[in-house]
Amino acid sequence: MKNILHILCIFGLILLLSGCWDRVEVNDLAIVTAAAIDIKDDNQIELSLQVFIPKALSTGGGQGGSGQGGGGAATLVRSQRGSNISDALSKLQSKIPRKVFWGQCKVFIFGEKLAKQGIQEHMDFLLRHPQPRERAYLYVSKGNPKDALEVLPPLERYSGEVLRELSDLHIGMQVTMQDVQEGLVGVAQAGAFPFIKILPPGKGEEKLQGIPYIVGTAVFKKDKMVGTMSEKATRGILWLRNEMEAYTVILKPEGVKGEVSLNPVSARIKLIPQIRNDKWKMLVNVDTEGAVVQNGTNLALTSPKSIQTVEKAYQEDIKDRIELAIQQAQHKMKADIIKFSKEFYRKYPKEWKKVENRWDEVFPKVEVEVNVEAHIRRQGYINKPGGLPEKEVKKQ
Amino acid sequence: MLLYKLPLMKNYRKRELIATCKKNGGSNLIRNINKLLRKPKQKNNDIQAEQERQDVKPVDFLSNHFDHNVEAFRMVYDRCSDVVFRPFLLFGKKRATIIYIEGITNVEGMEEFVLSPLIKETASETQPLNEFLENKLPISKVKRMHTIAECIESISSGNPILLYEGESAGFSLGLAKWEKRGIEEPIAEVGIRGPREGFNESLEVSTSQLRRIIKSPALKIQSMKIGSYTQTTVAIAYIDGLVDPTLIEEITNRLKRIEIDGILESEYIEEMIEDNPYSPFPQILSTERPDTACSSLLEGRAVILVEGTPFSLIAPISLFSLLQSHEDYYQRFMVGTLIRWLRYSFLSISLLLPSFYVAILTFHQEAIPTALLLSVSASRDAVPFPAVVEALLMEIMFEALREAGVRLPKQIGSAVSIVGALVIGQAAVQAGLVSAPMVIVVAITGISSFMIPRYIAGIAIRILRFPIMLLAGTLGLLGIMMGIISIVIHLCGLRSFGVPYLQPLAPLKGRELKDVLWRSPLWKMDTRPHLTGEFNRYRQSPDLAPSSKKGGDTQ
Repeated sequence: MKNILHILCIFGLILLLSGCWDRVEVNDLAIVTAAAIDIKDDNQIELSLQVFIPKALSTGGGQGGSGQGGGGAATLVRSQRGSNISDALSKLQSKIPRKVFWGQCKVFIFGEKLAKQGIQEHMDFLLRHPQPRERAYLYVSKGNPKDALEVLPPLERYSGEVLRELSDLHIGMQVTMQDVQEGLVGVAQAGAFPFIKILPPGKGEEKLQGIPYIVGTAVFKKDKMVGTMSEKATRGILWLRNEMEAYTVILKPEGVKGEVSLNPVSARIKLIPQIRNDKWKMLVNVDTEGAVVQNGTNLALTSPKSIQTVEKAYQEDIKDRIELAIQQAQHKMKADIIKFSKEFYRKYPKEWKKVENRWDEVFPKVEVEVNVEAHIRRQGYINKPGGLPEKEVKKQ
Repeated sequence: MLLYKLPLMKNYRKRELIATCKKNGGSNLIRNINKLLRKPKQKNNDIQAEQERQDVKPVDFLSNHFDHNVEAFRMVYDRCSDVVFRPFLLFGKKRATIIYIEGITNVEGMEEFVLSPLIKETASETQPLNEFLENKLPISKVKRMHTIAECIESISSGNPILLYEGESAGFSLGLAKWEKRGIEEPIAEVGIRGPREGFNESLEVSTSQLRRIIKSPALKIQSMKIGSYTQTTVAIAYIDGLVDPTLIEEITNRLKRIEIDGILESEYIEEMIEDNPYSPFPQILSTERPDTACSSLLEGRAVILVEGTPFSLIAPISLFSLLQSHEDYYQRFMVGTLIRWLRYSFLSISLLLPSFYVAILTFHQEAIPTALLLSVSASRDAVPFPAVVEALLMEIMFEALREAGVRLPKQIGSAVSIVGALVIGQAAVQAGLVSAPMVIVVAITGISSFMIPRYIAGIAIRILRFPIMLLAGTLGLLGIMMGIISIVIHLCGLRSFGVPYLQPLAPLKGRELKDVLWRSPLWKMDTRPHLTGEFNRYRQSPDLAPSSKKGGDTQ
């Protein structure tokens, strides 16, 4: 028995030998909530970190007992220049008394200027470091990305959260570090980032109370940004990537006055690649359903005929959007952000091998045919146009 | 002068003491009656002759001389003020004595049924006196005792001994009666539905409760005496035909091994007969509910009842027996199942929650949602201790409070809990010594540890919580995993009277899962669990599920 006890003691002590070597208390962490990376005129990288201030949130914990509440800022922003991220970070660490902790950082913003010069080197740091999350969202900002960190959003606690929430709503592109890595390494060698701007504060709000918001898409070819797409074109891209969620389509049905607004409820997108006679063609089949949110026309949406009219307009609208997006991506940017290459590679691996090296040339020549099948499934709580006298409702 | 004398005096005293010790028979530790009765080796000259004449030995038969017998008992019960010798004249002729112990003998009964008829009556000499006593006394139990040891046992258990002139035997009269606690609701195992009876300190009451539930004569109750001074009666109850005979043999053997001064509670027995004495987990279940004991009997287990405590022991058991409550079977099976699941999940919370909190806060800050981490870090900002120390402090504090609450008198107990709640809950957080989330964690852990229906099992879990917390504080989630693995390995190695401790799960017995992972409806529990050896598989007829088609003949 004594021997067993001795052995147990020794094993127990072995466990303690590690001495908690990587133990870090939460009090000693500078929790980074968002980070911005930009390049300055002297070719130096500027790294800005948005760090959470626990004191600002604690109520009653400290002396005095009175919480500072919503008055103070919940985060502070520190920035530092260096020859690359790691250099800037090590310099920045000397300005922050706590250990920089990337584990909860879900927002990384690249400056437009840096994006145009290439982000590969910086992605390497983010992917190599064990702490940053692979599922963190990436953005490209117009102007200085540090501004996006410094704003004090009135609704959320800090601007990083604003961006994250907006991405989760699928307002614009939702791009994670992993997506970017896959896109840049994979066959397409192109990527798309949400492009953000700062919404200026409204009347009566304080100077810094603007919020960053997503205005469109920054298109990347290899690791360099080649251009931006408008919000409308971005929607088309979202349709193609099957990431459509909350937004409203406004259409003008033929032959009637006024507009009908629809919410797409479900959408199925199929990309069918075809190679015939050495002609590359992509069939885009969209099958979508929508719900009416507002009816400004005098159509009673109970009759099949009027529904058909609206459905037709709906189809046209979606087709227009998608074609606009494809047109921009294919001919303006020449970047395969819709991942046509992946579809071709899957279906025609042998043919793909031949064009692999000159996909840049082939991609703009790919013929695209968009077929949209759109239906209206829900009319909402009322069938006839609300607030319209019975006489004026068009019955068919 | 005085100082000089003192050592001398001491020496003298010592010598005197040794002498007296030797006089008393070589040792002044008299362990039992046999030793008390044993003839001293070194005899004092004054009483030597007398003792030789009496020649009293433990297995000695009572002599023909009435005076010798009485004198022998007087010697045995020397300086026992509670033993009463009542001399009287039997039928006005023969000298007789009744020996009994005050308080455990029915004195009124003795006066009415023994003394008055025997003193008054002038018996005809046609019938021999001993036959008269055995046949005509209005007492249910009259027994002839031939040895002194037998008589002493009878007196100790409350049955008076009648000695009279010309008889070489004593008559044990079944007049034992002492103050007993009434049958009350079991305090440690309460419930909403189910019988409200609990076992009792007196063994007869407890066995009678078993017998009242299981009327079949197949219920066997074997008793033995353990404890050289206390001579505590210990009874093994089992159902013949359901129990594995080797199990009873094994229990009997293990009980016979016990040579101890006294048994004060069934824990004494439990610790002496369990399979793995160095485990924190109990391998024998203790219960004070007759219905729980009977359900175990019906499953082919054995129940050990101990005199002087309401807690009986059930063996063999598995870990899951400790997590089952009697009310699981007294509620609808869905309720029972859900509550059982709740219990299982809270078991793991009780074991692991503080450790997880510590591990995540010190090693894996990325593993929790951002908003949660921010709140926690905000409330932890002013706390001076590392999370491990904080957790240990609070948990120890909580355990101390619990222990104080259990042990103290009720009036003070409530005061302790008020102070504790203030200290732990309010003041500590306001002073910035501990963080509010830690208080919540400790509170949840505390509640969940009370979810385990068996107090002893709950304590085992609570003990294991602390090493796991240390592991979590040094090695993070890795440490917790190591802790869990070692606990599981330990559990796999445990046995309770030959039955693996994780029985229906490891080794897997699909048929028995019905009463472990969930609680099947009673009409589905057709088979008994298999413990060891031969067993009686079916406990009810199959296809008992009620339905509208099985209504019988009534129209």
